[in-house]
Amino acid sequence: MSDDDTLVIALSKGRILRETLPLLGHAGIEPVEPPQVSRRLLLATGVAQVRLVIVRAADAPTYVEYGGADVGVTGKDVLMEYGGQGLYEPLDLGIARCRLVIAGRPGANVTARRVRVATKYVNITRRYFAEQGRQVELIKLYGSMELAPLVGLADLIVDLVDTGRTLQANGLAPLEHIADISSRLVVNRAAMKTKHRLIKPFLARMQAAVAAMHRSAANSGTTGKS
Amino acid sequence: MTEHDFAKVNRWLLPDGVDEILPPQAFALERLRRELLDCYYRWGYDLVMPPTIEYLEALLTGAAHDLDLQTFKLTDQLTGRMMGVRADITPQAARIDAHQLRRDCPVRLCYLGAVLQTRPEGPGSSRNPLQIGAELYGHAGFESEAEIIALMLETLRIAGVVQPHLDLGHVGIFRGLTSQAGLGPDAEMRLWDALQRKAGTEIEAILAEFDVAESLYSMLAALPELSGGLEVLERANAELMPAQDCVHQALRELRSIANALQHWLPDVPLHFDLGELRGYQYHTGVVFAAFVAGHSHEVARGGRYNHIGRVFGRSRPATGFSADLKTLFALSDRGQQPPVLGIAAPCDDDAALLAEVSKLRQAGERVVWLLPGHEAELHELGCNRRLVNLGGCWQVKPA
Repeated sequence: MSDDDTLVIALSKGRILRETLPLLGHAGIEPVEPPQVSRRLLLATGVAQVRLVIVRAADAPTYVEYGGADVGVTGKDVLMEYGGQGLYEPLDLGIARCRLVIAGRPGANVTARRVRVATKYVNITRRYFAEQGRQVELIKLYGSMELAPLVGLADLIVDLVDTGRTLQANGLAPLEHIADISSRLVVNRAAMKTKHRLIKPFLARMQAAVAAMHRSAANSGTTGKS
Repeated sequence: MTEHDFAKVNRWLLPDGVDEILPPQAFALERLRRELLDCYYRWGYDLVMPPTIEYLEALLTGAAHDLDLQTFKLTDQLTGRMMGVRADITPQAARIDAHQLRRDCPVRLCYLGAVLQTRPEGPGSSRNPLQIGAELYGHAGFESEAEIIALMLETLRIAGVVQPHLDLGHVGIFRGLTSQAGLGPDAEMRLWDALQRKAGTEIEAILAEFDVAESLYSMLAALPELSGGLEVLERANAELMPAQDCVHQALRELRSIANALQHWLPDVPLHFDLGELRGYQYHTGVVFAAFVAGHSHEVARGGRYNHIGRVFGRSRPATGFSADLKTLFALSDRGQQPPVLGIAAPCDDDAALLAEVSKLRQAGERVVWLLPGHEAELHELGCNRRLVNLGGCWQVKPA
C-alpha cells in the first residue's frame, strides 16, 4: 500500500481505461499525459496525491489486494473468476458493459451428457454448470474462443459478448446468459480503513460522476449499452 | 529439464507459503517473543501450551466452517480417528478454560505457538504463522474488550509496529437487522457475502428480491456506508433508529468501548465499520482489528465469542485477540543486522582460560571458541574482540 497521504489507482488499458478516464475527469482527476499513448506505467495526475498505474485487466484485483494500488477498476468477470477476496467493490461504474454467455452452434445440445466447454473463465464455468447439476469437461484457452467449436475442440464456449458480431461471423450464437458484466471500482480493505479520509470523498465524487453519466446517457436517448 | 531433474535440483525448496526464520533474525524474533510473554505475565495472563495436533472434533467445534478448510488433517494410526494440525490456537484455549481449569472467576490466558494453515489467510501471508494471542474468559462487559484491545495495541507497541489504526465493528448489528427483517439463513449468507465486499448494488438487489420492508431495507442498505471515524456512531444512531433493541444495545457497547479506549489509548486513531463481519459465524459481539499503512491485511485481530466453551461443558463469555508474530516482526525494525559483539577464545588447555571464559559467559558475554585452522575467521564468527594471554593473565582485547 502506498504512503498515508497518496492514492494509487490501478487501471487497465483498452476499453476500461477509455471509459474510466471521463469518470475520473468528472471527479477532478486528469492524467498529466494521455495514458493511451504514453509508455509509462506509473502516471502522475493533476491532483498531487493521486497517481495512476496501468496494468492488465486481470491483474488489477491482484494489485489492489496486495496493496500495490489502493483502488482499481476491473470487470465483474475478473472478480467472479478470481474470487476477489479481501476486496471491497463499493461502486458499479456501469461502464464496459457486456454479457457473459454460453455460446455454440445454433441449436447445439447444451444439455448433452458431459459436453466439452472451452473458456478462459474455468472457475465461473465450473461453478455455473455445477449449480445446474451438469458435469462438463473444461478446456482452458487464452483467446479466440470462437474457433473451438468450429474445429471440434469443444461443443460450447463461455465468453464475454458485447455486440455479438464475432460470434455471428463464426456461425455461433449465444445460447445461455450467465451474467451481466460491467466494471467495478475495487478498494483495498486496509486502505479503506487507514485512508478513509482520502478514499471516502473520492468514492463520493466517482458515484456522482457515474450518476451524471447515466443522466446524460438518458437525456441523449441511449442507455449506454451496446 | 524433466520433472524428475527438477525434483533433484530443488530438494531444498520449501512449499509455497511456508517459510523459516534464519540467523540473525531468529534470535531477534525470540527476544520479541520473550518480551511479549513477559508483558502478558505482567498484565496477569497465564501461559498455556496446547498440543500442535488434536482430534478434529475438538479443534473445529463451535468454530467457523473456514477453520475446517484451513486445517491440515491426518488419520491417527492408534485409533483410526481423524486428527488435525491446529490452524488456530483460540479453540484450544477455550477448551482449556472450559474443561481443564473450570474456574468461576475471570480467566486470562495467553499463548504462542506454530500453527499450520492449508491456505494463506491474506495476500503474501505465511501458511505457518507463529500465532500469539491472549483471551479473557468469564466477563461479558465492555471493560474486558477494552483490556484486550489495549493489550493488543501494547503488543504492537512492544513489537515496534508504528501508527496502528484500530478498526471496530459489531456483528450484533447485522444479526439484529436480518432477524428483524425475518430473513432466512440463505438470504442472510448472501447478504453477508455482499456486505463483506461492500457491494452496494448487490445488497440492494438481494433486499429487493426478498421483499424486505422499507425501513429495514434502508437500514440494511446503509450498513456498507456506515464506516469512518467516531462520527459514524452518531450517524448510526439516527439511521438505525427503527431497529430492534439488540441493535441499539450493540451501538451502546461500541460507544462504551470507544470512550474507554479514548481514555486508555488517546493516540490510536479509531475507525468504525458497522458492515465489518469478520468471523461472523462464531463471533457474538464486538470485533476489532489493527491495520497499518503499507500493509494490505490486518496485522492483529480479535473479538467476542461467547459460548464457544459450551460444547466442552461450560458456556462462558470470552473475548481475545491474536496475531502472527512473524508479521509483527517483519513490520518492526528488529530484524536489522545486529552489532558484532562476540569474544573469540583460542583453543588452549589453560585452566585460567577456561575459568575466564566461564566468567565472561556468566556476565552475559558471547564467547566463541576459535577451532584449530579457523583462527583468522573472527568476523565471520561474529566476534569483535579476542582473549589474549598477557603474561599468564587472559585479557579481552579488540580483535
